[in-house]
Amino acid sequence: MKGLRVHLFLVITLVLALFLSACSSSESSGSESQDGKVTLRFATWDVGDDVELQQKLIDQFNAENTDINVVLEAYGGDYDTKITAGIGAKDAPDVMYMWNYPQYKDALEPLNPYIEDRGEEYKANFYEALWNYNSVGDDVYGLPVGYTTHVVYYNKDLFDKAGLDYPKAGWTWDEFQAASEKLTNKEEKTTGFAFPGKPDPYDFEMYLWGNGASYVDEAGKLEGNLNSPESIETFEMFHSMLEKDIAITSESWGDTEMKSGKVGMIINGAWYLSAFEEAGINFGVVEVPSFGDTPSASIVSSSGIAMSKDSAHKEEAFRFMEFWTGEQANKERLSFELPVLKSVVESEKLEEDATKKVFYSMLEQSEGHTPTSFITEDWSRLSDDLELVFEQIFNPSTRVEPKDAINSVVE
Amino acid sequence: MFTKKEKKFTLIRKRVPYLFILPWIIGYIAFTLGPLAFSLVMSLFDWPIAGEAKYIGLANFTKMFTADPQFYNSLIITFKFALIFVPLNLGAALVLALLITQPIKGMKFFRTIFYLPAVVSGVAVSIVWGWMFNTEYGVFNYLLSFLGIEGPMWLVDPKWAIVAIVVASAWGVGTMMLIFYTDIKSIPQEMYEAAAIDGAGPIRQFISITIPTITPTILFNVITSVIAALQQLTLVLLLTGGGPLKSTYFYGLFVYNNAFKHHELGYASANAWFMFIIIMLFTLMIFKSSSAWVFYEAEVKKEKKDKKEKKKKREVKNNEDLQKA
Repeated sequence: MKGLRVHLFLVITLVLALFLSACSSSESSGSESQDGKVTLRFATWDVGDDVELQQKLIDQFNAENTDINVVLEAYGGDYDTKITAGIGAKDAPDVMYMWNYPQYKDALEPLNPYIEDRGEEYKANFYEALWNYNSVGDDVYGLPVGYTTHVVYYNKDLFDKAGLDYPKAGWTWDEFQAASEKLTNKEEKTTGFAFPGKPDPYDFEMYLWGNGASYVDEAGKLEGNLNSPESIETFEMFHSMLEKDIAITSESWGDTEMKSGKVGMIINGAWYLSAFEEAGINFGVVEVPSFGDTPSASIVSSSGIAMSKDSAHKEEAFRFMEFWTGEQANKERLSFELPVLKSVVESEKLEEDATKKVFYSMLEQSEGHTPTSFITEDWSRLSDDLELVFEQIFNPSTRVEPKDAINSVVE
Repeated sequence: MFTKKEKKFTLIRKRVPYLFILPWIIGYIAFTLGPLAFSLVMSLFDWPIAGEAKYIGLANFTKMFTADPQFYNSLIITFKFALIFVPLNLGAALVLALLITQPIKGMKFFRTIFYLPAVVSGVAVSIVWGWMFNTEYGVFNYLLSFLGIEGPMWLVDPKWAIVAIVVASAWGVGTMMLIFYTDIKSIPQEMYEAAAIDGAGPIRQFISITIPTITPTILFNVITSVIAALQQLTLVLLLTGGGPLKSTYFYGLFVYNNAFKHHELGYASANAWFMFIIIMLFTLMIFKSSSAWVFYEAEVKKEKKDKKEKKKKREVKNNEDLQKA
């Protein structure tokens, strides 16, 4: 009987081994199909209609390039988790959408040689500020695809009702607060300004930049930066707007409040342009206010595409990336993405578009600022700590003094 | 000759069943047992997602117990949640099960309605509840405003957020309700008739017949809901993200974030194994305690006397309770 069990065990193991090896061998041969075409896997985080549009673009690329076959993999909502799992399993897509370069840089191919190969002009056609967001240190890891800066959305109807002039570029936080005060009306339940009660620390740093501060210095040190007088002043300003009841915190990003038509202003990226239009809000956009001397700055939420370090077809992959970030693709994405190429902005006359030009002027104003996530080693932990502190400052059930809270995280 | 034949016979008899379950065995080893064992190995490494894994022995465990205050916070929050959730969930499931066993017309309709939430994906549930709990625009506070109550800031106030999670979790009570329902249905009607002749009212029937008969099901439901409570992740991940002020930073979220946000797979594996041990201990404890309160029909003959006495005591006590009420 004992011998039998051993025998059975061997059979099972053998079957299992065959089964597993069959799996792995089919994987390794997957990138090169029988007709000599190179197959590239391309991961996107977009969903719905955007994916269809992307598929059309890819079909076009596949038709033009007979030696390459690009397969689109739409990962949707849990993009980061799936990419992470793919990288962990050494099965990352050849080309993938990317924004959080510092966290993934070890799995990505530095693109400097490829870009230098294409010449100086190629690189100069992209907005300079965007390279900063697609690199870590001196290594470029991605080509810019799209971006958004943050701007002030304001409700024109509420401004008219309060008898206020629409804000103009170059306005200050004092003017912003004065407007917010006038827009706040207890009886009609309107408030001047709504901002997230749990702001993303990555986004919030732009307010510090506007005041000449930042979370860390170039060496990644918090002490003397996050708790500098300018930094604390910035937090105190937001804190005092809540205390004076001329601002409210939002449970989301302020978009729900804006759509309700009961809030005068929010500050956010280009994501909500179409949503607010659909909601029938008569809105305008304007640059983020400044603290006086220094022009205001905005964080750039950028998207790029990066290449996996383990890709077996790097030259082909870059050719596809070039196509994906080229002029034609930029134009195809006009309906939902702000172009990143100067030549496209010029040919499409976006500098004359009353709404879109604001995003570009914010982009130019924000050059030279590097987010802390690109400097510090362990941003995901720091970001968690900061998020908690911001929440303590802004959450109505705690609402601590910014100075104490911030000093606690510096320690 | 004869013995050989017999041997051959058993050989076939033994091998064939294994062949039938072979697909399951392969799946189990490849997708459950394998990863389980592998995660134990991972817990001994500093295992980033990109880059090389480094063997660090038990350092992940020492870090967990000595250097990470969030570990203890998350553990306490999770236990607190389980403590509220498990009794509430059992109670609600039982009440619903009793309701749908009533012989009333259209009961099939209600049975479907009550079970419906259990088949809705957790993601959809989270989104819907997120809207309902909104302070300004949510349904709850709107309804409360009719009663002249200014509703709490459900997902902003740390005191209320965990309540919100409990409420949203309890919504998926359907599966447990169905298990109770089938068990209650299988209780022979004669027992109730006999009790009714003896003058027992509905409450008395429930306490003396229904409850003792379904104790095995209660045991099963207690164990599964304890496990579910300790592993709760979807709701906090999508509804609160652990907030406000980390008041709903459940252990499941703690593990998930360590792995997929902070990319510390080794540390997260250590976390997960610790929870595995905790759940095992809890299950063991509940099983051990079950001999005191779970009643199997097979036991009747063996411990008839003993049980009868116990039952008598219980009945006396119940009588007293009833009289007090």
